[in-house]
Amino acid sequence: MDRIPLPERPDWRAKAAELGFTFADMHGEPYWDETSAYSFTLDEVEGRIEDPCTELHAMCREAVGTVLADESLMDRMGLPRLRWDFIKDSWEAGEPEVYGRFDLAYDGKGPAKLLEYNADTPTSLYESASFQWLWYEDQLAARVLPEGSDQFNRLHEALVERFAEIFPPDTDLHFAAMAGAPEDYATVETMAWAAREAGMGAHYTDLEKIGISEEGQFTDSEDRVIGTLFKLYPWEDLFADEFSAHLASAQCRFIEPPWKALLSNKAILPVLWQLFPGHPNLLPSFFADDTKGLADAAHLMLGGHVTKPIFSREGASVTITAQGRVLERATNREYDRHPMIVQAYQPLPVMGGMRPVIGAWVVGETCVGMGLREDRALITQDLSRFKPHFIEG
Amino acid sequence: MKRSRAVSLGILGAAAFGLAACQQEEQTDAAAFPDVESCMAAAAQNGWFTREDCTTTFAEAQAVHSETAPRYESQELCEQEHGAGACGGDPAAATGGGGGSIFMPLLAGYLIGQALGGGRAMAQPVVPKAGGGFATPNGGTQLSRLNSTGKMGTTAFAKGPTTAGQPPMSRAAVASRGGFGGSAAARSVGS
Repeated sequence: MDRIPLPERPDWRAKAAELGFTFADMHGEPYWDETSAYSFTLDEVEGRIEDPCTELHAMCREAVGTVLADESLMDRMGLPRLRWDFIKDSWEAGEPEVYGRFDLAYDGKGPAKLLEYNADTPTSLYESASFQWLWYEDQLAARVLPEGSDQFNRLHEALVERFAEIFPPDTDLHFAAMAGAPEDYATVETMAWAAREAGMGAHYTDLEKIGISEEGQFTDSEDRVIGTLFKLYPWEDLFADEFSAHLASAQCRFIEPPWKALLSNKAILPVLWQLFPGHPNLLPSFFADDTKGLADAAHLMLGGHVTKPIFSREGASVTITAQGRVLERATNREYDRHPMIVQAYQPLPVMGGMRPVIGAWVVGETCVGMGLREDRALITQDLSRFKPHFIEG
Repeated sequence: MKRSRAVSLGILGAAAFGLAACQQEEQTDAAAFPDVESCMAAAAQNGWFTREDCTTTFAEAQAVHSETAPRYESQELCEQEHGAGACGGDPAAATGGGGGSIFMPLLAGYLIGQALGGGRAMAQPVVPKAGGGFATPNGGTQLSRLNSTGKMGTTAFAKGPTTAGQPPMSRAAVASRGGFGGSAAARSVGS
């Protein structure tokens, strides 16, 4: 793994504007940044990222079964007891998953370590699947990147295949995001493009405009009944919303399925560590109130520890502590009221003054691609930059 | 090869979805007025419609309003959707003697749009919304204010389903909306 300065495509801003990639700059800072790119060897991609992440997903599926069979673990997930059956039913019915993104700390030397699994509402899909791919093809054509190089990015094709695999042709799918968040909308539309390419009907509705019909089914902004809903909105928030009582009875299939609420949840990290202690891709993790477990694991936490709320987005309410001193504390504390977990601190590598996190994408049950974000700060937050990558020839 | 052979590249915006499938909806010049007089006053500055268009489109908007405005079984329900004082009885129901009362929002104004490829200007009525603003009868296009001009998708001018002579909406039929989204902690909820 290396971080290599490269010439930018002279016309990339015009291309981004033309394609509707309106958030290539965000909060007055560049978000898409191709002044440099991360390079990997093929062995590294396959042996350190791809295969381990496919395995991690299989381990996560096993953990879902474990949690659902154990009330004390279900209790740890912070989800309303009224919805437990709904979650369990979706798992027992084998409702298929579509996508997720593992965030990994990887320094090019040791094994990649799982920081968390964005298994329910991962974003940056457009940047990863589409704009990053275009960057590679353009740079290959411009001979900035050599023949024989490649990119680990089968994301789009894999999504098309996945939709075709789990839905009959011409199934009508609804796609919903909260209004007014272009970065969320881009992920939803990228997903919809893939569904359409797979032969599905794709319809958009703002999440806030979803209604409920007399028969108790969800309806879109034009009063059409929603049979299948892709919702870029976290399960734990759906469960807290006014319509949550209708979720189980609305005869609606959801993507991601309800059981993903257990995996996007950081409470799954201590469960994984219990099930697979010492696994090379896992960091020692414990529930924050598990004083005995933490005391016994003190020797695993000598490099410091990170406290994270079980529900959190974009690094909010995360605190990193080492040698009894707070190294960094996220300024956004919106998730402070949630239960916490403690994870051994795995510093991100520093490359060109930046700290990259690898986002490894899982479609279905297989790792199919990656995208990187880098931040100056120790905690990767919403001001991080998206970076393209390539595989050396 | 570990990458896709081909990828859809664009994010076209919400108009790319749904019935319009992959094509972005065609845009046209449009203007919104509360009455014929305001339209006539504006006709001079806007090359694409005439004072005569103002009259003919207003008449058409009135007719379309009578035919497609949402119908409710009570004044209270209508006002809940369209605002206090914004509703009246359905004149067609009153003369038809169909029994029972039907209520509908009053015409608040109309949209006039340039027909693509020439032809008569297009018309569409607008009704008030509870909480402010205006909408076409089927709610598909929303406006914050009248006496405004701009580009608008041509589907804004598609005539909605006929409601005249149909049973009015009951409270249950008025779709309950907005039951999702209240718990989001941040503007962007993805991760």
